[in-house]
Amino acid sequence: MNIIETHNLTKSFGSVIAVNDLTISVRRGEFVAFMGASGSGKTTLLNILACLDTFTSGEVFIDGHNLAALDEEGRRVLRANKIGLVFQQFHLIPYLTALENVMLAQHFHSVTDEPAARQILGDVGLAHRLHHRPGALSGGEQQRVCIARALVNEPPILFADEPTGNLDEENECNILALLQDLHRRGRTVVLVTHNPDLAARADRIIRLHHGKVFEP
Amino acid sequence: MAGADPMFRRLVWRALRWRRGRAAVVFAALTVGAAIVCALAAVYFDIHAGMSRELRTFGANFYLGPAGAGGATWAEADFNHLIAGAPPGLVVAASPCLLGTAQVGARRVALAGVSFEGLRPLAAYWQVRGAWVAADFDDRNAMLGARLAEELERGVGDELTLTNDLADDAAKPLRVKGVVETGDANDRRLIVSLALAQEWLGQPGRLSHALLRVDGPPERVAAWAADVRQRYPALDAKPILRIAAAEGLVLDKIKGLMGLVALVILALATLCVNTALTASVSARAVEFALQQALGARRRAIVAQILAETLLTAAAAAAAGLALGWVLAQLIGRAVFAAAITFRAPVLPLTVTLALAAALLAVILPIRRALQTEPARILKGE
Ligand SMILES: Nc1ncnc2c1ncn2[C@@H]1O[C@H](COP(=O)(O)OP(=O)(O)O)[C@@H](O)[C@H]1O
Ligand SMILES: [Mg+2]
Repeated sequence: MNIIETHNLTKSFGSVIAVNDLTISVRRGEFVAFMGASGSGKTTLLNILACLDTFTSGEVFIDGHNLAALDEEGRRVLRANKIGLVFQQFHLIPYLTALENVMLAQHFHSVTDEPAARQILGDVGLAHRLHHRPGALSGGEQQRVCIARALVNEPPILFADEPTGNLDEENECNILALLQDLHRRGRTVVLVTHNPDLAARADRIIRLHHGKVFEP
Repeated sequence: MAGADPMFRRLVWRALRWRRGRAAVVFAALTVGAAIVCALAAVYFDIHAGMSRELRTFGANFYLGPAGAGGATWAEADFNHLIAGAPPGLVVAASPCLLGTAQVGARRVALAGVSFEGLRPLAAYWQVRGAWVAADFDDRNAMLGARLAEELERGVGDELTLTNDLADDAAKPLRVKGVVETGDANDRRLIVSLALAQEWLGQPGRLSHALLRVDGPPERVAAWAADVRQRYPALDAKPILRIAAAEGLVLDKIKGLMGLVALVILALATLCVNTALTASVSARAVEFALQQALGARRRAIVAQILAETLLTAAAAAAAGLALGWVLAQLIGRAVFAAAITFRAPVLPLTVTLALAAALLAVILPIRRALQTEPARILKGE
């Protein structure tokens, strides 16, 4: 069964068509890489699938829910429950510690659970960094906090938009290993990247070009 | 506001500390605003309670007394005759009075003999603890000016005794029925019935002066005053309406000006806070977008901004009250040569206006925070 499905999905910003009549699907538990040059519509597509953005036409189904039928509140609830997000720029709250950043996701999802937050930070190898603010963490550590934050509510789908774009090679490997591990444990992982070496580790690559699927 | 939620509290508190520079600007602007409002309100309400009421609510608008320098007295019989002979309806209230000094224990105190029934309608503004002496013939009860009461350490219900150095056996016990705060010389007087004062001061049938309230067109009042002066050349009879009205008018203008100054300062503080908050919200766009991406409702964002602003404003209101209070004393000393008494409305007014200014200033920044689209902000390209 497909956990993500789009049919003729189109998103335009004025005259710019960022996603153009796109029909794709991702199976539950699959590890898929979206690849494409800068400006090919990867982030726009990801934001729509992550219920963060609206679209112009077409249909999108996330875990069986028709996004077109949802209002902002409906998208919010779906996002909070089904989706974990990892960003290239990390987007950690600078005045909260690693632990608090993770607990914030619990807070907006339901209620905070400090032991669970500690556990998940331990799982990404940050048990010794719980009470550091993002400013005191390396890029690789910050991205691992991000991943912990994305996972703490146990969403079935993880979206990672160029998660290693700001990291060196060693940290890139670490993060990728984390994603692969998550995939092995049954999560659906969607990785956006323009690095072919990273994309090669996925089950399947979907190539985008000017907002369309590009079949070489 | 989800005030009981520890994560919410932590978020608000950490955010304030993290951007304490901006919070300090908001705090400073609102503190200055609150201090000015507090100081001006303190002065405003105290003038209102004191001087202004004396000038305006004090019903007396006509003076009758011996012409020339103080100390002279005139006959109560003349007074009674004059009042009885005045055109019907002209004199609405009249309070004859004999002033002197008397001995209470080892102290000399200012003594005023009055007609309580005549004085009461003219002194509606007096703040009386206890009660008025009800009848003119009551020579066992007295009223005590508040300052004198403090000096004598006497209060409502206490006894005090008039004594006489010259006649050892003469002693007149009195019970303090009311302590009065008047804002004028009566605060330092012992006020007894006219008959008792006349007897005690050895001036039977004599008066120092009388204050009247007269009603009618100014020409009619002036004509009666001229008539009195002609029939009793030794008497001064003059309306005090004009002076009082003019002073009241100046006071009104000063008070209007104070209100205006307070408004302008508040408006400036609001602008300043608005600017600081707008900058802050712009700088934190990613933070709020991220929270929404994590599943935060818009109202959670509103609650956070509101809580941060109102907390700062509450602290500023407290600091402003303290600062404003000091400022009020300085103004009181410099302008009115008097300490300013704290009046009840100052506290709620200052706090309300400080919070209102903060709320007004935070409206646009909140709208701006809600207008941003999380998807666009988080793209961050
Ligand atoms: N908010 C926006 N307003 C206008 N154009 C946009 C906006 N977001 C993206 N675009 C355009 O849409 C296209 C796809 O952008 P994006 O999805 O960010 O590409 P990618 O992530 O693949 O680099 C680009 O041409 C970009 O300029
Ligand atoms: Mg992108």
